[in-house]
Amino acid sequence: MSQHILASDGPPAPAPTAPSGFRQLLLGLLVGVGVGVVLIGWLGSAGRGATVRGAERQSGIVHLSALVDLVHEAQAAGEEVGPRVAAYVAASDEVKSARVVDLKARQLVADAGADATTEPLPMRLQRQDPNHKAWYDLGQGLRAAVEANTEEGRLWKEEIDVEPAAGDGMVLAAPLTMDGEVGGVVIVEVAVPAPALSSPWPMALAFLGGALVLFALVGWPLRGRRRVLQWLALAVAVAALAGFTVTMLGLLGADRATAEEAVAAQVAHAQQIFSRGAPELPPADAARWDVDRFRQPRGMIQAGHVDAKHLAEALAPVKARFTKVFGALGLLALLLGAFFGLGGAQRLGHTLVRYREAYLFVLPAMLGMLFLVFFPFLYGITLSFTSQTIYNLDEPIYDIWVGIDNYVDILSDFDLVTRSEGESTWNYQNFYWTLGFTIIWTVTNVTIGVSVGLFLALILNTKGLAFRPLYRVLLILPWAVPNYITALIWKGMFHQQFGVINQVIQIFGGSPVAWFDSPLTSFATVLATNGWLSFPFMMVVSLGALQSIPSDLYEAARVDGASRWQQFRLVTLPSLKPALVPAVILSVVWTFNMFNIIYLVSEGQPGGATEILITDAYKIAFEQYRYGYAAAYATVIFVILLIYGTWQNRVTRASEGV
Amino acid sequence: MPLKTPSLKTLKTALLTALCAGLLAPSALFAQTELVIWHAYRGAEKDAFEKVVAEFNTVMKAKKVTAKTLAVPYDAYADKISAAVPRGKGPDVFIYAQDRLGGWVEAGKTVEPIDFFLDDATEKRFIPSTMDALTYQGTLYGLPVNFKVVTMIYNKKLVQKPPTTSGELVATAKKLTDAAAGRFGLAYAYTDFYYHAALMNAFGGGVFDASRQPVMNQSANVKSFELLLKWLDQDKILPAEPSVALITNLFNEGRAGIVFSGPWFLGEIKDSIDYGLAPMPKLDEAGGAPLKPWVTVEGAFIAEPSQHKDEAWEFISFLTGDRGARIMAVEGRQTVANKKIYDDPAVQKDPILQAFRKQVESAVPMPNYAEMTMMWSPATTAMNTVVKGTASPKAALDRAEEEVAERIKNLRK
Repeated sequence: MSQHILASDGPPAPAPTAPSGFRQLLLGLLVGVGVGVVLIGWLGSAGRGATVRGAERQSGIVHLSALVDLVHEAQAAGEEVGPRVAAYVAASDEVKSARVVDLKARQLVADAGADATTEPLPMRLQRQDPNHKAWYDLGQGLRAAVEANTEEGRLWKEEIDVEPAAGDGMVLAAPLTMDGEVGGVVIVEVAVPAPALSSPWPMALAFLGGALVLFALVGWPLRGRRRVLQWLALAVAVAALAGFTVTMLGLLGADRATAEEAVAAQVAHAQQIFSRGAPELPPADAARWDVDRFRQPRGMIQAGHVDAKHLAEALAPVKARFTKVFGALGLLALLLGAFFGLGGAQRLGHTLVRYREAYLFVLPAMLGMLFLVFFPFLYGITLSFTSQTIYNLDEPIYDIWVGIDNYVDILSDFDLVTRSEGESTWNYQNFYWTLGFTIIWTVTNVTIGVSVGLFLALILNTKGLAFRPLYRVLLILPWAVPNYITALIWKGMFHQQFGVINQVIQIFGGSPVAWFDSPLTSFATVLATNGWLSFPFMMVVSLGALQSIPSDLYEAARVDGASRWQQFRLVTLPSLKPALVPAVILSVVWTFNMFNIIYLVSEGQPGGATEILITDAYKIAFEQYRYGYAAAYATVIFVILLIYGTWQNRVTRASEGV
Repeated sequence: MPLKTPSLKTLKTALLTALCAGLLAPSALFAQTELVIWHAYRGAEKDAFEKVVAEFNTVMKAKKVTAKTLAVPYDAYADKISAAVPRGKGPDVFIYAQDRLGGWVEAGKTVEPIDFFLDDATEKRFIPSTMDALTYQGTLYGLPVNFKVVTMIYNKKLVQKPPTTSGELVATAKKLTDAAAGRFGLAYAYTDFYYHAALMNAFGGGVFDASRQPVMNQSANVKSFELLLKWLDQDKILPAEPSVALITNLFNEGRAGIVFSGPWFLGEIKDSIDYGLAPMPKLDEAGGAPLKPWVTVEGAFIAEPSQHKDEAWEFISFLTGDRGARIMAVEGRQTVANKKIYDDPAVQKDPILQAFRKQVESAVPMPNYAEMTMMWSPATTAMNTVVKGTASPKAALDRAEEEVAERIKNLRK
């Protein structure tokens, strides 16, 4: 589209001095593979970093669980908790500090580590100390999580809290059960030295260099054959990116195995400290400290060692996800490479330089569009591929990525008819019912708007009509009143007992109609309201176009003996078309998304039968809080309108050509 | 070159001094703590609120704490809080009703738990149900400022003695009803589930059980629908399609004897109408249990990202304490949550505040779960189908239950 405009603008640009296909492809290969390995290497490194942090977290959880056991044991034996916790912290290099808070008594029961309090323990929590409030709230949060999980009989809130510490390391907290309910919290700060990771960049450079050299060597003799060269470049690029992907996945797997071994070492370490001055705790028992954030056993560490089967099971989904992400990044890089390799980038650069003033002038508008239109738009589309709801707002998008699930959910629901108690009824909640209703709603409204508007315009266009300006103002009035006010007035007029419409029906001896009880009458109310709102626009457009039709056309028609109907059909209508078609397109889009009228007048009654797509999307987002699903719904609406717009454009252009 | 060295040095020194001054000056200037408070009050409520803030500022002058208010237009208020507060762009304290609390807690980084600050004296200050409304999963998140509850409002000219039981209510209402002339004994927005909740709670029903599972179709709820149908179809004491505008009109024209509505309705009543307030009647059908409307509570919440939580607590404690609450009640005409205020001579003379105080004794806090918003639309559909007679109460509630369960499942997956 944009190329089309650019091409038709100004004098044709002279063809850029084309570099030989070989050099261009080499550049494309450099860009494509270069960008690809950088992206994959960067994301892979992030993944490896996460693995290391995961091991550190898991080591922390092990020490935390050991400390929880320690506190339980001390309490059961009636011992003081403080000294035992202090002894544990002193014996461990990884655990920097540990504290135990009793939530019911609001007391600090144990506090060990470098920044421990010097006050005698247990001490009452101090309001002035911001740390005390943070610990207390942490404990209350975990209590609420445990209670929610028990009440609902499912694990959906994490029972171990992990946060980054102020320096390096992290702070972990676990609930402490007292008398059958959560009555306290254990908080530890741990720092496990991170193992040095080998850098992926030499490998990346090797793949990039290898690809370039390979292409140069094989491609040079073939440099006359453009098509073959292109395929060769593609094959080399794919091979290089695939090779690097496999290398990165291997590194990820190896890192994870090392990380889990480190956790196993920490389990053994914790077991040693725990057993000090007490009977030896067998490794099998210590393995119970290896739990996930829902305090469920992971089973990864068994009898002091990493279980190979569990490791493979844990790695499989991670590898699958990274394969998918790496594949997507690789594809993106290939497209970019093709853009350069096939000369698109050079042509773009050339136009940018040649028409630089023009681009400078449109730059502010482009930036505005970018931030105000395209960014939210792309964000909405991205959101539509996630399962974002109010519960997972702060989770990163790739953790809640569901692919096209939302679209499948929306489009594959053909449950149009529900059967209950032997009779079948329409399922008004179904997407296709709503879509069908929206289309009917749009078509009828635009038809009414156009015919009423045109009719009134023709009357107003009568020569010598007295008080014409007055009529015109009166007829534009419905348009000038804010449409939600109009909507509420009409809603009142359709009231069953007190509405003016039923009153009139009763004057003529009819019985009052419950307008919002059946889909058809409910539809009639919104149709009437929107018809009232939409005809002035069409009238103004038609009136303007009518007045610009030269009168000699009619004179010529009359000379040829055309009747009034023929004059209308053969002169007026064709002359109106250039003005009416854009107005119709606009009004179709407006009506399709006419939120206010449906939302305020029929409110979707009865039972959601008169809901249109946009009001449905609103309700999904703001009543059901399913943001991802609502975004998919909105995208579907956009695609429908896009298809309509393209089709309408083509039809119009085709008919203009005739 | 040798010439330049000293000048460079002086420049460096000058820069360093400037930097130090720049670092020190703000701390000297801003030792003053400024609390930003958002609210959506207008008119008398706003004036009263500003007055409380001014008094707070005088009290806290020694501690160099000042509070600054910002009135936010109501229609964008909730979204503004949801968008700004988690990103640290919001206020230190905001005042809002309890219905969004669950959503804010689940979304995180919005409201600060305040159990830690709470002492017994503060806790005992409030009407217990208002505290319950601001408690989510056993944790308190705000101090109750005021409550709003539906009560019985009657036209004194038409109703000499307000009914105390549902039998009396129906008898009185029947006498006043003449549907052909557009006169009704009782008028309230009965198709709005919020108003219907009074009937539902009287029968011991509700929308969620203790473990947050929806129980729309429990038998108590069915019974409450049946009672409504009796009032509507057998006793014929209610108007059709009861919108708020319609009820206001009927009452103002003296064509409705009794209305169930809340404090927001009082401002709509014409001066010529002499009205009274009384607690909602007891239901003979529910073994004499009174109608128990949902109470909504406006709370003062501390924003989680606030840097001045301790001072923020001082403020919300002051606002809901005896001094603040008295101003809000006497000058802002709010039904405050602080119990003690109702013994104040100025408030004791106020029959309206006293009537709401009496009503809140038999009221249930509206659930503050995030899932609550998912209940409204299916419940409204159920109400409409039952009232229009297209489905039996049981069938309509079964359908609503199914839909609420489905929506919750979709949200939590």
